[in-house]
Amino acid sequence: MQLCIVLINTIIEEASMKRLSVIMIGALVLILFSIPAYAAEPIQLSISLPLTGGEAKFGDIQKRSYEIAAQEINAKGGIKGRKLVLSFEDSEGKPEIARSIVEKMIDVKKQPVIVGEYTSSCAKAVAAVAEERKVPYLVVASASDEITQKNYKYVFRLNPTNAHYADGLISFLKQVVKPSTMAILYESSDFGTSGAEDMAKQAAKMGIKVLLKEKYAKGAVDFKPILSKVKSERPDVIYMVSYVLDAALLMRQLKELRVDAKLFAGGAAGFAIPEFIENAKDASEYVVTATLWSPKLNYPGSKQYADKYKAKYGSYPSYHGAAAYSALYVIKNALERAKSMKSDDIRNALKTTSMTTAFGPVKFEDKEGYQNQNFIDTLVLQVIKGEFETIWPLSIATHKYIYPIPTWRERG
Amino acid sequence: MAAGQIELFLQTLIAGFLLGGLYALIGLGMALILGVMKIINLAHGDLMMVAMYVAYVLFQFFHIDPYLAVFIVAPVLFILGAGLQKFLITPVLKVESILPHNQVILTVGIGIVLSNLATLIFKSDYLSIPVSYATKAWYLSDFWKGSPIELSLSFAWSVSFLIAIAITGVLWFFLTRTDTGKSIRATAQDLDAALLMGVNVNHMRMLTFGLGSALVGIAGCLFIPIYYLYPSLGKQFTNIAFVITILGGLGSIEGAIIGGIILGIFESMTATYLGMGWAPVGRFAIFVAVLIFLPGGVASLMRRRSFTVSIK
Repeated sequence: MQLCIVLINTIIEEASMKRLSVIMIGALVLILFSIPAYAAEPIQLSISLPLTGGEAKFGDIQKRSYEIAAQEINAKGGIKGRKLVLSFEDSEGKPEIARSIVEKMIDVKKQPVIVGEYTSSCAKAVAAVAEERKVPYLVVASASDEITQKNYKYVFRLNPTNAHYADGLISFLKQVVKPSTMAILYESSDFGTSGAEDMAKQAAKMGIKVLLKEKYAKGAVDFKPILSKVKSERPDVIYMVSYVLDAALLMRQLKELRVDAKLFAGGAAGFAIPEFIENAKDASEYVVTATLWSPKLNYPGSKQYADKYKAKYGSYPSYHGAAAYSALYVIKNALERAKSMKSDDIRNALKTTSMTTAFGPVKFEDKEGYQNQNFIDTLVLQVIKGEFETIWPLSIATHKYIYPIPTWRERG
Repeated sequence: MAAGQIELFLQTLIAGFLLGGLYALIGLGMALILGVMKIINLAHGDLMMVAMYVAYVLFQFFHIDPYLAVFIVAPVLFILGAGLQKFLITPVLKVESILPHNQVILTVGIGIVLSNLATLIFKSDYLSIPVSYATKAWYLSDFWKGSPIELSLSFAWSVSFLIAIAITGVLWFFLTRTDTGKSIRATAQDLDAALLMGVNVNHMRMLTFGLGSALVGIAGCLFIPIYYLYPSLGKQFTNIAFVITILGGLGSIEGAIIGGIILGIFESMTATYLGMGWAPVGRFAIFVAVLIFLPGGVASLMRRRSFTVSIK
């Protein structure tokens, strides 16, 4: 529109008064033509994700899922008749890079709403920028609690926080396992640390004694020293929060050392991806893990999305993908309800979101010290005969849980 | 409780030795290259990553066990390494520039290219080779019924440890008892003198870089059953190899293996008695301490007792 006005101005300046009326009519025609053209202009959405580096796997899952969602949305006529065009930027999982990408999105590209990022450290950096620039930011799969505890007005989170990741697992522990001691091992990242802190708090509430709480650096090779220490303490439950295949390494080395416990439990991420079973093989049997989503859930669109993903990429997506896929629908929903494409209007629309996605119901609430946080029931999976089965809550279980579990020696 | 404490200590010690063997294996190639060419090869870990992907492809398409794949991967890495030396590093050595360590910067570039190529070809997925012996271990209680303590010794880790020792032996023999080995050492000791004595210095450099790469290739094959692989795994192992090379004494082969084992035991003990989060801190604390108090590394201690056969 601005371009049109500038054009008219220059034309007026150059034209003599006599021909003014003719030019005015011409300009009017120009404007009339340009209005429908403007309305059909696509909505450009840039998404920052870790596409290289150690977390690239999750970045990839999310990128593919955003693309599937965008395809579906565009096939059904886009958002308010406008096509949605995605582009991706690689943050390498580094907060400083994520920050500069988002600054560019807001300051240069004038993008009115931000979606994306995966690691909590990056999401924190992005959230700070978004809040400062007053641009709404939808956090998709970053779990660190702090992100929605800072009284940010413009930061929304689709996925449950770390403190709630294990809700399902905790009720399983309370009602079935009833342990009295626990050991916690976690990766020394934002995600691992907050997951471990929250479990320790919950354990204290349940009267479970935490015998050991140990962190390790990302990419660690040898866990045997620390696992030997765990073995000498004999905890009832070993709870581990790991990002990726270190989860499989932990289980393999637990088997190697024959460290027995009543229950091996994982806090999502590395324990909930298919590679966990592929890599740990028989050592993964009977391991339970908290998770947010499973391809077998009966939320509308869940199964269709999972099947579509599998048909295209050969394996089922993890919850990260489902969250990304659903996030785009949340954005679509908000943009359709927003009064304009201005950041503040989109923010207000997001605030009043109430819908069900493939990831579960979405509603951004202020409670328990969180702001704009979506709360969803979390699940417990158990590896049974080399497959993830939903065992908790019982109402949606696909398999009866196996407890107690045999010792390593009994398994042979 | 006493038995439990002894068990904990012994198991930690075993873990430390095995980890040390693995570290030494990774560090050997870098020590060799540094010793002869005075180049810190910062693409070292990425070369290992390449080797692991080669082994992975061999397993996926031809069902070759990673231990057997050594015989294919090592030559492949030798050619890759020698090629890098001939076509990239040698030309850069000749260029006059304001930067004193052009080759080092070059190796960083090579590493980045390799890891991004791997991301392009294999995606960023985490891969592993599901071998049946991945969790195989020997248990003390199986050999000694009624043992008060239980210790376990992992099969895959033991193999890599023994091969690390064997390779050190072979390398030692090669460097001290063969003509080519002596030429390599001559190149390391005094470039100009070696040239005057008719040693083909450029050829020796190519050979060394190839050999160093082949060694890290072997390390990669032995490492796969223990670990997993993804495109950016190289950097952390470059760091470890670098620390071992410094600890062992720049360019010393026996130094590298002793340095590796010291580091392995140190890290394991730190993990058990101080917490695993401290392991990386400890690693670089050792690094700094050695640079300050023992600049020649372990090799300089051994040289004082005059039973070292350093390539220097």
